[in-house]
Amino acid sequence: MRSERSVLQKRSARTGVRLIILWLIGYLCFRCYPFLSSFIYSFTDFNLFGEAPQFVGFDNYLTVFRDEKMTAALLRSFAYAGFTVPLKLLAALGVACLLCTKCRGIRMFRTIYYIPSLLGSSPAIAILWKSFFRTDGPLNALLSLFGIQAVNWLGDPAYALFVVGLLRVWQFGSAMLLFLGALQGVPHDITEAAALDGAGPFRRFFSITLPMISPVLFYNLITQLAQTFQEFNAPFIITQGGPRSSTTLFSLLIYNEAFQHYEMGQASAMAWILFLIVASISALAFLSQNAWVYYNDGR
Amino acid sequence: MHAMKYSRRCLTALMAVLTAGLSLSCDTQHAHESQNLSGAEDSVTISFSWWGGDSRHTATQEAVNRFMELHPDIKVKTQFSAWEGWENVMSTSFYAGTMPDVNQINWNWISAYSSDGSRFLDLNTVSDTLDLAQYDSEVLQTCTFSDELQAVPVSLTGRIFFWNKTTFEQAGLAPPQTLAQLYDAGRIFREQLGEGYYPLVLGEYDRMILMVYYLQSVYGKEWIENGRLNYSEEEILSGFRFIQSLEEGHVIPKIETTLGDGAVSIDKNQNWINGSYAGIFEWDSAAQKYQDSLSEGNELVVGTYFADMGPYQGGFSKVSLCFAISETTPHPQACAALLQFLLNEREGAEILGIERGIPLSASALGVCKEQSLLESATAQANDRIIEWVSFTLDPAFEDSKLKGEPDGIYYDVMSGLSYGDYTPEQATDLLIRTTNEILAEN
Repeated sequence: MRSERSVLQKRSARTGVRLIILWLIGYLCFRCYPFLSSFIYSFTDFNLFGEAPQFVGFDNYLTVFRDEKMTAALLRSFAYAGFTVPLKLLAALGVACLLCTKCRGIRMFRTIYYIPSLLGSSPAIAILWKSFFRTDGPLNALLSLFGIQAVNWLGDPAYALFVVGLLRVWQFGSAMLLFLGALQGVPHDITEAAALDGAGPFRRFFSITLPMISPVLFYNLITQLAQTFQEFNAPFIITQGGPRSSTTLFSLLIYNEAFQHYEMGQASAMAWILFLIVASISALAFLSQNAWVYYNDGR
Repeated sequence: MHAMKYSRRCLTALMAVLTAGLSLSCDTQHAHESQNLSGAEDSVTISFSWWGGDSRHTATQEAVNRFMELHPDIKVKTQFSAWEGWENVMSTSFYAGTMPDVNQINWNWISAYSSDGSRFLDLNTVSDTLDLAQYDSEVLQTCTFSDELQAVPVSLTGRIFFWNKTTFEQAGLAPPQTLAQLYDAGRIFREQLGEGYYPLVLGEYDRMILMVYYLQSVYGKEWIENGRLNYSEEEILSGFRFIQSLEEGHVIPKIETTLGDGAVSIDKNQNWINGSYAGIFEWDSAAQKYQDSLSEGNELVVGTYFADMGPYQGGFSKVSLCFAISETTPHPQACAALLQFLLNEREGAEILGIERGIPLSASALGVCKEQSLLESATAQANDRIIEWVSFTLDPAFEDSKLKGEPDGIYYDVMSGLSYGDYTPEQATDLLIRTTNEILAEN
């Protein structure tokens, strides 16, 4: 009986492998191989059009912290994540709370708020965004109605990163949908009981709702952080890293290093540093979750 | 249990059929290609890439279609785009060995990517199909590296001023013919037309080329000689001060202003289109693109070089662009036939006209003369450039680390100067140091 089961299990495993074999080949070739080869390249001076790569140890990694331009781009990426992630989560949560209420046409509103995320970070949207913030664009025209002077959103280094970041914040639909699902899952009897005990709406939100949706908040935080550190399309299309490098995020610098200067060794080291940063932040977040994430299963 | 087993078998069989089908289709495709290769190229497909503006895309596509009608055995797959970002795409394909069979390339790409002849085919090997006798041997020599003719040059080009005559007339002026008149125009534009009007607009790279033109006019030297910058610190400092004086005199807008316009390039900038920016310093071959982009009622005219800029005739000419065939193409003769049609044959030359500048091919030039195409702005500009400039361009001037956008050194020093991040002295020091470092690497 046992051996029959074992044969069945083996057959079942073989069928499983057969079913995923094409995907597995793709995964090994197009994910694992580049991932591992970039690690090896990161220890070489590999240039696409240069001589044969030479082993340079940790030089490429150290260059990131020695080179002013690279360090500045790295810090800029932190600053970018520092303002876009909280703003995006706040926007997503705020709108989700509004859309959680019962009113006529609520489904239509949910769809409307999700549309920016459907459009995603497509080049077309980035181009549209750029037009919106032109000196003679619609935003300045709107501001002029209130007597506010035209702002050079794209040319002034003080505003450019904000303009790029705002596009990311605007695309809050996916995070909002997750929050909406979580909010709808908060048991009404608990909030009603709290209300009967005299808790106001703010107290109910911060003491009951927020802890109940904290796993979703945690998930959104991790995914948004990872995506924000890898941000590329918006600064590449809207400002090309300018003016005066004010929107040159670390990911954009990796691209420039790889595809403009062809320094694949240096670019690989930078990519690995970025990977380690995102992994470390995620690990820290996971370690901290015991302190602020509430799981319904008692954890 | 039996049913489960049966459905699993069915699933496995389905997967096997799909996999076999997939590999069979790959094999069939491969077999088809092999057949073409082994045959006398009786039905081949080649790929062809270029960059340019809309008018160039339309003309080239039309020429390719005509070529395919005349050669039903050759199918040409085209890929084209605007210049922005194109070099990155192509350089990656050069390295990966996935480059198209026929490519429009920039002149400096030969030295940058194929100095050893490893990427581009020696065109002497297809000279029975591609008539190289149509070209001056000296010009062909400029595309010869490692003793191989790696590309065929299409035209010679240089930078020259183009003016929006209509805007100048609105300001009560004629397009400037001297530097002094240009400075005057800056002041008068502000007074007569308003703060948003400028007689000239220049991006970072345009400023760099204008500065070289200025320095050559004043000091009469090549920019690069023997692999090093040929100008002293003091001389280059005067060049940066010249550029700064143009901004201060309201001749050109600050970089901050043009970036705020939110346009990818000047021809797509609304202020150029409506005439608020009334001049450019551009390649002659770009004349049509800039003329086409102007709104109705605006007229673009070719400018002159400024005799009062200095005692020498500054400015440079260079091979504008070339066509090269991939070293690894399985169909070199078909590729050569396409180039022969586009560059030397009557029909191809008629369709392409002067889309890529005034042709260097004697036969194509003859066609252009017959078609009265040499009266266009591009031809006028080309005449003036060839007549005036007395310097040539070292291909290293266009090294991607120098002119790369956004972090090449030309962009950095010119935008840094405009934003006030660098003084002219700092910009000078940075330009000399970095340029010499990069030239030493080449």
